[in-house]
Amino acid sequence: MVDLARVQKELHECNRDVQVSGINVTLKGDSLTHLIGTIPGPIGTPYEGGTFKIDITLTDGYPFEPPKMRFATKVWHPNISSQSGAICLDILKDQWSPALTLKTALLSIQALLSAPEPDDPQDAVVAQQYLKDHQTFVSTARYWTETFAKTCAAEEKIQKLVEMGFPEAQVRSTLEATGWDENLALEKLLSS
Amino acid sequence: MENDQENHEGIQIEEIRDEFQCCVCLELLYKPVVLGCGHIACFWCIFKAMNTWRESHCPICRNPYHHFPSICKLMHSLLLKLYPLASARRVKHVEEEEKETGNCSPEFDDYLSESSCQTDLVPDTASSHSVPSQKRGSVGEGEQSSVNVSLDTVVPATSSSETNKDEKQVLMTDLLCGICKLLLCRPVVLNCGHVYCENCVINPSDELCRCPVCQLEHPNGYPNICLVLEHYLEEQFPELYAERKRTSVERSDCQIPSTRKQDEAAGCKSLPKFDLSEWLTGGGRQIHFGVGCDYCGMCPIVGERYKCKDCKEKIGFDLCEGCYKSSSKLPGRFNQQHTPEHRFELIQPLQVRNVVLRLPPERLEEDGSIDLVRYIEDSSVEQHPEEDSSETNSPREVRNISSSGTGDDQGGRESAERN
Repeated sequence: MVDLARVQKELHECNRDVQVSGINVTLKGDSLTHLIGTIPGPIGTPYEGGTFKIDITLTDGYPFEPPKMRFATKVWHPNISSQSGAICLDILKDQWSPALTLKTALLSIQALLSAPEPDDPQDAVVAQQYLKDHQTFVSTARYWTETFAKTCAAEEKIQKLVEMGFPEAQVRSTLEATGWDENLALEKLLSS
Repeated sequence: MENDQENHEGIQIEEIRDEFQCCVCLELLYKPVVLGCGHIACFWCIFKAMNTWRESHCPICRNPYHHFPSICKLMHSLLLKLYPLASARRVKHVEEEEKETGNCSPEFDDYLSESSCQTDLVPDTASSHSVPSQKRGSVGEGEQSSVNVSLDTVVPATSSSETNKDEKQVLMTDLLCGICKLLLCRPVVLNCGHVYCENCVINPSDELCRCPVCQLEHPNGYPNICLVLEHYLEEQFPELYAERKRTSVERSDCQIPSTRKQDEAAGCKSLPKFDLSEWLTGGGRQIHFGVGCDYCGMCPIVGERYKCKDCKEKIGFDLCEGCYKSSSKLPGRFNQQHTPEHRFELIQPLQVRNVVLRLPPERLEEDGSIDLVRYIEDSSVEQHPEEDSSETNSPREVRNISSSGTGDDQGGRESAERN
């Protein structure tokens, strides 16, 4: 059984100082076991200015087992899968402790964005690029941030697709489903 | 935690200082246990956070430990007094939870009362009832002299003329060291839950640290100071505590060598390092995964395991070899109705590795416990063949599974861990 009282407390605590930390946790649906965390991209990194969504699923063992976290926003980072959003971070695996919270875990992920660990990669392609062609890595990461992690960019994308003649609700849900990838969304909309 | 404390029933409860909030459940600490590193959590929170397969780690500092500490009674009664309303709410919730899981935490009125420990750590109940719930800010000015007097005379009734001080004096009786009978100074909580001044209980010439009251040995190096408790003492009795600290430093001939402190400990001495190849070949020491000793708290039990044949509780009653051979008589740490008349049997560890090797991991997840039960029963039937061998094997096997508590017990405790 997930400790729902604790989750509720955590949400309350986390959302109280959202102005300071910039870290936000909201419910995905009605259930307290599916949540969405949002972290701002750290200043001075290629992720600056972006807002990254993280999909959180709490297993029955929470808080004695780590929460399952995955980037819902596409991100170019050696320790985050550019395909699935899977995160390679020890505290989300064997180094989890029940004294950690959703907020502290999200803070750790934010710190991971500032300090990549290319020697322990999740995405080998990104890690190789990070080590061998750092300049390209930075510009790719920045481009991905601009494209996928900016809310205003999202509104623009919606606008663009709506202008092509698709209904807004459908555009929004398709974009969300494709991780705000414009081309994929268009393909999907056309095929549906 | 500090604002708008209102529970679902709409009852206002006290503000709880962050230090007295459990790091795991984020509620008021209830039946607190203090780990060797000095960090505190609730009894059930630590129980659930423990690793039953290997050494466990402190949720806060990841310091390794192998023994589930007993509840710190001193802190428990302190919290009950400080936050009676919040505690009452916690009692209610925990009782509901215990009813659901079928496991009980120690009943406090009876806890340790059968042993000889019950001398000085229990506060006078008559006086404790008069303590108002709000303690903060009760430290007044200009009472330095009387505080210093009480250093030597241990809570003199005559010095409590002001009401303000009265309150403080009563509290001080709850915070005395069991050895020097003075206000605790640099408090350490041993694995048995008893609290002493660091200087009183730790003898630098001695490798081991043994509780003078219950004679239980504190495992895995010296305990660290419980900083939450020390901070509280410093705040509540600033002058007295400063004085105590000064004199205790003067008195201690040699400082406690920091190399023997808990945080310096490389690992748990009592728990052998897990060696996969040794385990697979069946060598090495016996490890009873998922089973803890009810006296010293060692979990998992390493070495011989003695299981009580007469305890009816789902969680069972087990002792490690050392505790079985010792003369101490304590009640079980899950409120089992164990008595010294109960009989014990020596239990062989589960040969989990055979099951693991036989089953793919995903099957073990789902019905591993059933297979474990069958496995033990299989082997026990082989070991003790009964006379009526004409009887077919299968019905007996089924009957054995339902009647014997061993396997059920095992599964029960393991699933309790997981939940």
